[in-house]
Amino acid sequence: MRRVRRLVPLQRLRELSLVLILIIVIVIFGNQIDNYYTPRTFNRISSTVALITLVAVGQTLVLLTRNVDLSVGSMVGFTAYYLGRHLSKTEDMSPMVLAAMAMGIGGAMGLINGLLVAYGRIPAIVVTLGTMAIYRGALVRYSDSKSVATRELPPWIKDLPQETLYKFGEYELRALPGIALGAVIIFFFILLYSSFGRRLYAIGSSPEAAHLAGIHAPRMVTLAFTLCGALSGLGGMVYLARFGTITVEAGRGLELQVVAAAVVGGVSITGGSGTVLGAMLGAILIGTLEQSLIRMQINEFWKDAVMGLCIIVAVSVDRILINQLTPWWSRTELQRMPEEPHAEV
Amino acid sequence: MTADPLLEIRNVSKQFGATKALDSVSLTLYPGEVHALLGENGAGKSTLIKIMTGIHQPDSGEILLQGHPISLHNSAQAQKHGIAAIYQEPLVFPDLNIAENIFISHQRRNPLVRWGKLYRDAEKVLAQLGVALDVRALARGLPLAAQQTVEIAKAISMDVRVLIMDEPTASLSIHEVKQLFALVRNLRKAGVAILFISHRMDEVFEIADRVTVFRDGQFVSMAPVAEVTPERAIRDMVGREIGDIFVKEPSPRGDVILSVKALSREPRFRNINFELHAGEVLGLAGLVGAGRTDVALALFGIAPAHHGHIEYLGKEVHIHSPKQATQMGMVYVPEDRRQHGLVLPMSLMANISLPSVKNYRNQFGMVQHHKEAATAEHYRQQLSIRTSSLSMPAGKLSGGNQQKVVLSKWLNTKPRLLILDEPTRGIDVGAKQEVHRLINDLAQQGLAILMISSDLPEVLAMSDRVLVMREGQQMGIFERHEATQETIMAAAIGQSVEKPVERAAEYA
Ligand SMILES: Nc1ncnc2c1ncn2[C@@H]1O[C@H](COP(=O)(O)OP(=O)(O)OP(=O)(O)O)[C@@H](O)[C@H]1O
Ligand SMILES: [Mg+2]
Repeated sequence: MRRVRRLVPLQRLRELSLVLILIIVIVIFGNQIDNYYTPRTFNRISSTVALITLVAVGQTLVLLTRNVDLSVGSMVGFTAYYLGRHLSKTEDMSPMVLAAMAMGIGGAMGLINGLLVAYGRIPAIVVTLGTMAIYRGALVRYSDSKSVATRELPPWIKDLPQETLYKFGEYELRALPGIALGAVIIFFFILLYSSFGRRLYAIGSSPEAAHLAGIHAPRMVTLAFTLCGALSGLGGMVYLARFGTITVEAGRGLELQVVAAAVVGGVSITGGSGTVLGAMLGAILIGTLEQSLIRMQINEFWKDAVMGLCIIVAVSVDRILINQLTPWWSRTELQRMPEEPHAEV
Repeated sequence: MTADPLLEIRNVSKQFGATKALDSVSLTLYPGEVHALLGENGAGKSTLIKIMTGIHQPDSGEILLQGHPISLHNSAQAQKHGIAAIYQEPLVFPDLNIAENIFISHQRRNPLVRWGKLYRDAEKVLAQLGVALDVRALARGLPLAAQQTVEIAKAISMDVRVLIMDEPTASLSIHEVKQLFALVRNLRKAGVAILFISHRMDEVFEIADRVTVFRDGQFVSMAPVAEVTPERAIRDMVGREIGDIFVKEPSPRGDVILSVKALSREPRFRNINFELHAGEVLGLAGLVGAGRTDVALALFGIAPAHHGHIEYLGKEVHIHSPKQATQMGMVYVPEDRRQHGLVLPMSLMANISLPSVKNYRNQFGMVQHHKEAATAEHYRQQLSIRTSSLSMPAGKLSGGNQQKVVLSKWLNTKPRLLILDEPTRGIDVGAKQEVHRLINDLAQQGLAILMISSDLPEVLAMSDRVLVMREGQQMGIFERHEATQETIMAAAIGQSVEKPVERAAEYA
C-alpha cells in the first residue's frame, strides 16, 4: 500500500476514476444506440473532442493561475474566419505557415487578455467577458457579416480531417485529434517538469505565498493567457478544417464546453490543481456525451439538460472519491527522526 | 564586534494609513551573529522584516548591504542578495507537495524540475531539522507545526547571508526548538547574520548575541546579551515593570464537566482517559505531533473519535459536528488563526461578534453596531489589542493582535467548557499575563478549561493538572505539585516515570 501511494499520485487516481466513468458512459450508449461501436462514431467523436481538447489545454493553463478565459470561443471564431478568408485569396500556403499564423493571431488576442488581467489588475472574468464580445465584434466587422464557404477553400485544408496519422485495426488516429494529442503531450511535460509550469501551480495555489516567495506572477499570468490564445488560434484552424463553412457565429458557446471539460477533468476553478491529461479526459467525456446524444436524436433542450446532469454527476463522483481517498493517500504529520538520522529510509 | 557590518538599516520609517508602524528605526547586523529583536505585539517587528525582504517599501530611510545602499522591490531581489526570511504566519502552497514547497524559490535557477533529486534533497533538508515528513504529500491540511517546519526548511535550503526568523518557534515544542537552535548555531559559525524574533524570553537569552528592543515603532535599546537581563528587556519592551509569570490561583474543584474514557482515533491517538472539573485548568502537554490537537478536534466534533466514551455534564454524548459542540456550550480556540480562526478581510469588531451575532440583533433582526463596538472595545482594553480602529480588517493587525481577536471572539460566547489550543501563540509578555489572568478569572467563575500548550512555563503556571501525551498515547496525568519541567519533559519524550503511568491505568 505504501509503495502504491508513493508511485501513484492522487492526481493519477483521479484521472483513472474519470476513465472509469467514461467507460461506463460508453457502455450505456453502446446499449442504447445501434451500430455504436464503429469507426464512424469514433471519428465523429474524436474530431469534436480534438477541438475541445486543444482549447481546454489552453484554458487549463489559465485556470491553474486562478483566472479564467471566457473569450476562447470568440478567439477560435475570429481566427477560423481570418484563416479561411486568407486561404480563399492565396492559393499556396503550407500547413505549417498557416498553423503559425493561427497561433500568432490567437496569441496576440491572448496577450491582450493577459496584459489587462496581470498588469491592469482587472478580474479575468471581467476582462474576458469584455474581450469575448470585442473579438466577436471584430469578427463581425471584419467579415462584414459574410461567411467563408467550403468551396472557397483549397482542397488540402478540406482533406485535413480525413488525413490518417496512425491506424490501429479499423480505427484510425486522424490529423485533427493528432494535433490535439500533440498539444496535450507537450503541455503535460511542460506542466510537470518545467519551472514555468510549477510556478503556474504555485500562483494559483496561494497568490500570497507566491508573492512572498518572490515569484513574478504578472509575467506568468500574461504568458498563460498568451498560450491559451495561441492554442485557441490553433483551435480556429482545426475548426476551419472541420467545418469549412465559417459564419460570424463560429465558436460561440465553445467557452462553456471548454471550461466544463477542464472542470470535469479535475482542474480546479480556484486554481492550483489539475492537469492537461485530466482536461483531455474531460473533453473526451463532454465530446462523447454530445455526439452520442445527437445520435440518439434527443431534442436539443433535453440534450443540454442531460449533458448538464452528466457533468454534475461526474464532478460529484470525482469529489466523493477524492475526499474518501485523500486521508489514505497522504500522511502529512510531522514524524520525529529516529535518534540515528540515517538509520531508516 | 570587529567585522564590518553585513546589513545596515538606517532611519527606516513606514506608515500604514493612520498607523505609524516604524518611526525612523535603525538596526545593524554583523556576520556570524544572532540578533534578537524584541517588542510588544504591533511594535513593528514584522513590518521591518517585510521591508528587509522587499515586500513593503519604506517611506524613508535606507538599507545598506556591506556598505552599499540597495533597494528592494520584491522578495526575489532580496533573495538574490542572500536575504531570506521565515515569516510569522507560515504560508505554504496547499496544492504543491512538500518538496516543492521547500524548493519553490530555487526554481529560477533551474528551468527543469528533476523530481527524484527534489525529493531526496527535501528529505535531506528536513533531516537536518531532525524531522521526517512525507515530502511527496501535498501541503494541504498540514498541521501548523509542520507548516512552520516547511518554512524553516525553505529558508535554510537557500544560500543565505542574512536569515530572518519571525517567531519561528511559536508553534514548536522543545525538541524541534533544540534542533532549530543547533542549526542556527551552525549557520552562525558559517558567518550568516541571523535576525531572530520571539516572544519566548528563555529562547532569546539562550541563542542571541545581541538584543534590540522596539516599542511603538521606535527603537528603544540595543545591547549585547551579557549586559541585558530579561527584566530589563521586558521593561524596555512594555515601558513598565512586569512581575513574575502569572500563576493560576487555586480554585475550588467543582462538578465533573467532561469525562473521557478510552477515547481513540487511530492512528492519531488512543486510549485517552481524563476528567475535567468545573473551575479547573487541565494542561495538555507533549511534543509537537503527540496528538494533542487531535484530541481537541475529536472532543469538538471536527474529527470525531472512533472509539471510547465522552460524558458531558454527566450524560454520554456523541459529538459529530462543531455546531453540536457549540450548542452544548463548548468552545474550541484553534491554533491556526489564519485558517480557522479569523475572517481576515472582515473588521476586528465583526470578527469578535461573529459566533454570538444573534445577541446583537435588534427586534428587526439587524445587527446593532454600537453593541458590537462596545464588546470589541471591552476586549481591546482587557487584552490590549493594538489597533488604530475597531473597524480595521483583522488581516492587517499584527500577528499577536490577531491572536487576541481570536481569543476575544470565543470568550465572548460565554462557554461552559473552553478548549484552548496554543492560546498565547505569538502574544507578547505583557499581554500574555493578561491572557493568563483572564483564563484564571474564567476558571474562578467555574469554567472547565482544557489548555493545549507547547510553552512549558505556561503549562506549569496555569494548569491544575497536566496530562502529558506522547505519540498519541497518554503518558500520565500530573497533579500540580508533581508537575515540574523535568517530570513533564521526561514523560513527553518517553522516559519511564513510574507513578503517573500507574495513575493512568487507574482511570482506564
Ligand atoms: N498591511 C497593513 N495595513 C495596515 N496596517 C498594518 C499593516 N501591516 C501592519 N500594520 C500595522 O502596523 C503595526 C505593526 O505591525 P507588525 O506586524 O510589524 O507588528 P509586530 O511587531 O510584528 O507584532 P507581533 O508581535 O504581534 O507580530 C500594527 O499596528 C499593525 O496593525
Ligand atoms: Mg509580527
